[in-house]
Amino acid sequence: MMQKLKSIPDKNPFKVPENYFEEVNRKIISATAGYEHEIKKTGIYTRFRPYLLAAASVAVFIIIGYSAIMLSTHNRTYHKIAEVPYEEYSDIYLNEIDLHSLEENLGADILSEELPDVSKTEIINYLMVENIEINDIY
Amino acid sequence: MHLRRKSELQLSNIKPDDNITEILKTDLSKGFRLIVEKYSSKLYWHIRRLVIIHEDADDVLQNTFFNAWRSMGDFRNESSLYTWLYTIATNESLTLINKRKKNSAVSIDDLGSYFANSLEGSSWFDGDEAQIKLQNAILQLPEKQRIVFNLKYFDEMTYEQMSKITRTSEGALKASYHHAVKKIEKILTGD
Repeated sequence: MMQKLKSIPDKNPFKVPENYFEEVNRKIISATAGYEHEIKKTGIYTRFRPYLLAAASVAVFIIIGYSAIMLSTHNRTYHKIAEVPYEEYSDIYLNEIDLHSLEENLGADILSEELPDVSKTEIINYLMVENIEINDIY
Repeated sequence: MHLRRKSELQLSNIKPDDNITEILKTDLSKGFRLIVEKYSSKLYWHIRRLVIIHEDADDVLQNTFFNAWRSMGDFRNESSLYTWLYTIATNESLTLINKRKKNSAVSIDDLGSYFANSLEGSSWFDGDEAQIKLQNAILQLPEKQRIVFNLKYFDEMTYEQMSKITRTSEGALKASYHHAVKKIEKILTGD
């Protein structure tokens, strides 16, 4: 069966450039295992540099990520407060205050203070100057 | 009766790689250097017969050893270094051939015309007409069959070794080789 194959001369028709195998071996070894004298010159820092760079990159990423999270949380808090207009806030606060419990919580010394006499006329004048409607008080 | 083919490094002349395995246990780098120096030539010719172009074979050979170096930590002592490297080289060659197929501008179906169109001295091919005919006939085989034929005919590998490289049963390999030879003979006879 192999008559025709047998008739073809035993010769490798492919060629390579001169010194190809010495060159490619050197290239491969330099890029991988390295030569002994190359390895000896390699210090601890050089050997571990890739790992140090990787660790530094991870640390920077963590710091940036943490800072970003902290900043966004801080802004959110301010935003929530800003959502409530001051006028509404003060009304809500005052309407929900229980005056009786407020009275109880005030110190006796404060309550015992004598309040200055204020005439009805002075009160009305004050309200008009401050543009406060009498009905708003009640 | 098989025509005996001389490879760059005959399988029977390769020293047992047990001593390299022992060196790898204590000095991985030194062991790998020995592997490169011992097997690069033989691996190159196996790759070259598949990919044809020297520059491509050069790339594949280097990639083979780079991949092997990355996997050296997983190397098992009982594994055969030889078949393991051949497996990587074969897979890398097939990857390149498949990539080439997708690039229709690079097609090596006809060696004769390919080398005729190459610049003088750039093809790294020095075969006569008979050699070109044989290489062309081999190129007509499907890739897997071409691998089987090359490993058996040029590298004189055993079916057991080929089975580990190609992950195909020995019976299937024998059948594949038989068919490959018949096909090649038919092509050569028909010319």
